[in-house]
Amino acid sequence: MADRIFAGVLLLVTLAYSVIAFTTIKAPFQYDPLGPESWPRILSIVAIICLLVILWKPDTDKLDVAGQTWFRLAATVVLLVAYSELYEPLGFILATILFGTVLSAMLGASVLRAIIFGFAAGIGGYLLCAVLLDLNLPEGEIFETLFERAPAEQPASAEGAS
Amino acid sequence: METVLSGLATGFGVALDPFNLFLVLVGCFAGTLIGALPGLGPINGVAILLPIAYSLGFGPESALILLAGIYYGAEYGGRISSILLNVPGDAGAVMTTLDGNPMARSGNAGRALSLSAVASFVGGTFAVILLSLFAPILAAFAVTFSPADYVALMVFAFASLASLVGKSTVKTLLGALIGLMLATIGIDANTGIPRYTFGVPDILAGIDFLIVVVGLFGMAELLTLVEQQVSGQLKSLPVDKSFVRWADLARTKWTIARSSMIGFFIGILPGTGASVASAVAYGTEKRISDTEGTFGTGDVRGLAAPEAANNAAAGGAMVPMLTLGIPGSGTTAILLGALLMFNIQPGPMMFSQRPEVAWGLIASMYIGNVALLVINLPLVGLFARMLTIPQKYLTPMIAILAFIGIYTIVGNPFDLLMITGLGVFGWFLRKMDFSLAPVILGFVLGALFENNLRRALSISGGDWWILVGNYKSIVLYLLAILVVALPIYLGRRARRMEGDAVSAEDAHRP
Repeated sequence: MADRIFAGVLLLVTLAYSVIAFTTIKAPFQYDPLGPESWPRILSIVAIICLLVILWKPDTDKLDVAGQTWFRLAATVVLLVAYSELYEPLGFILATILFGTVLSAMLGASVLRAIIFGFAAGIGGYLLCAVLLDLNLPEGEIFETLFERAPAEQPASAEGAS
Repeated sequence: METVLSGLATGFGVALDPFNLFLVLVGCFAGTLIGALPGLGPINGVAILLPIAYSLGFGPESALILLAGIYYGAEYGGRISSILLNVPGDAGAVMTTLDGNPMARSGNAGRALSLSAVASFVGGTFAVILLSLFAPILAAFAVTFSPADYVALMVFAFASLASLVGKSTVKTLLGALIGLMLATIGIDANTGIPRYTFGVPDILAGIDFLIVVVGLFGMAELLTLVEQQVSGQLKSLPVDKSFVRWADLARTKWTIARSSMIGFFIGILPGTGASVASAVAYGTEKRISDTEGTFGTGDVRGLAAPEAANNAAAGGAMVPMLTLGIPGSGTTAILLGALLMFNIQPGPMMFSQRPEVAWGLIASMYIGNVALLVINLPLVGLFARMLTIPQKYLTPMIAILAFIGIYTIVGNPFDLLMITGLGVFGWFLRKMDFSLAPVILGFVLGALFENNLRRALSISGGDWWILVGNYKSIVLYLLAILVVALPIYLGRRARRMEGDAVSAEDAHRP
């Protein structure tokens, strides 16, 4: 059943893909026999055939995921989305401290250890990647606006933003 | 022969550069650490570290040497969790658990680890030697391939992928199609028409390869870890002082030789990687030498066979990747994508146009093999300690590493949302028994496949018969049909024979 639902959803997406390939994509003029639309058309037809075969003969019955696990997975995804959204506004250090603490606590670490892990990951990760390896990590818009109030810091923060 | 020797000289010149030598060692070390993490296979390790390696701003040959070191190291490290934990890091390591874990349980953990390191070393070195002999010849032949031949080659690659990888042929094929369809997103290079971008500026140039790799492998792996999280710690067996004996090596020398051979040639087949090779090598060895029925109870040969084959296949998979631009496994597909990011088109021309990259990579594989043997024998205890990192810290660490890697490419937070989304998609695919390697293969080969098809048809002025207009492509299509039909035929025959065998076996069991 799970197979059929998944294949059904994929079929809808593929049908949309195919409709776009057959109607919307067009080059205003072209010299080659195959334009930008031909390849997606071929792909969508083969994919639809494959999906129909799966719908006809599914082989995965159930996803076999307990209710609690679904909850944990959903919470992880929410945390990941929140981490992505906060990455630039809060900066790497703060966002990572929050994310590391909450996720490790959710996965069973005690509160104190989770906090220690979060700080270690945030500060250690920044020192390792941004300072030692010279990678580009966000410093945080909050700090930049804070620094901008102090006039002496202005050129430094403008540089950091670029 | 001359080209091989002069090529190797160039290659060692590049690889023995102190900085590159240092990178080989760092890559091997980091790869072994990542590979030893429980449940995190080589492909996920390479996927997570790839963007970081890319952002460090090295030259293409240095970055590639680093990545190859990580790939090799992860293959080595994977066996540690198979042997000590009985948890294979990826499909290629499943066979290692069969005899490796019983050995460790009977107090021979150190012996099992050192023997598998030696077997891996021999398999890996054997494969690199064959690679340096074969690759230039194959590349010289592949220069004559026309676009139509390339189309046939792709069809062959996907056919062997569909028939040999994964549980269901249709699902593997669909996985490859999903990859090919993802690759059509973005502006069409030939006409400048945007396809499937829906006005989102972040994907006008197509979905970045790194995002697909980290999303489908790294993030999907993370969700799988969360899903399978067990409360409490996995019990790791202790590493004792026992060590591989000469008697073991004498006993396994033919096993290792045979398995390296099998591994290398299976590794060459496009699309099939270490998992098929180690399974075939184990099966063959069991049939040839398991006269006392000791396989599966801690037989040294049962451990040496898959380990040698595994690493030989890792080298064999490099052959089609370097000479034809068609990766032989999921991990080489990632390396191929890495080459493309450096604007190097892998393929027959690479040996003549960028010899320092092609040969530097090959030479670094020689060095990497030696380095791995040297750092693995004494340091295995240290690597084994990685197994005890609890998952509650490991999982957030993977996410943090993946985010650092993706953010540092262009500093676009939209990419972070994309890897999360692709991770969810990849997790669902895995739950549905799709394997993810075809998706990444399809994604990497998408542009090459489409461009060659279009080029072939422009040459013929729209006549589709050009696709079968030459003996090379006809042979490739025949091979494609063979590779699909043969397993089906053999499977039917095996099932018919199994009908008798199963009833006989049941009678034997107590």
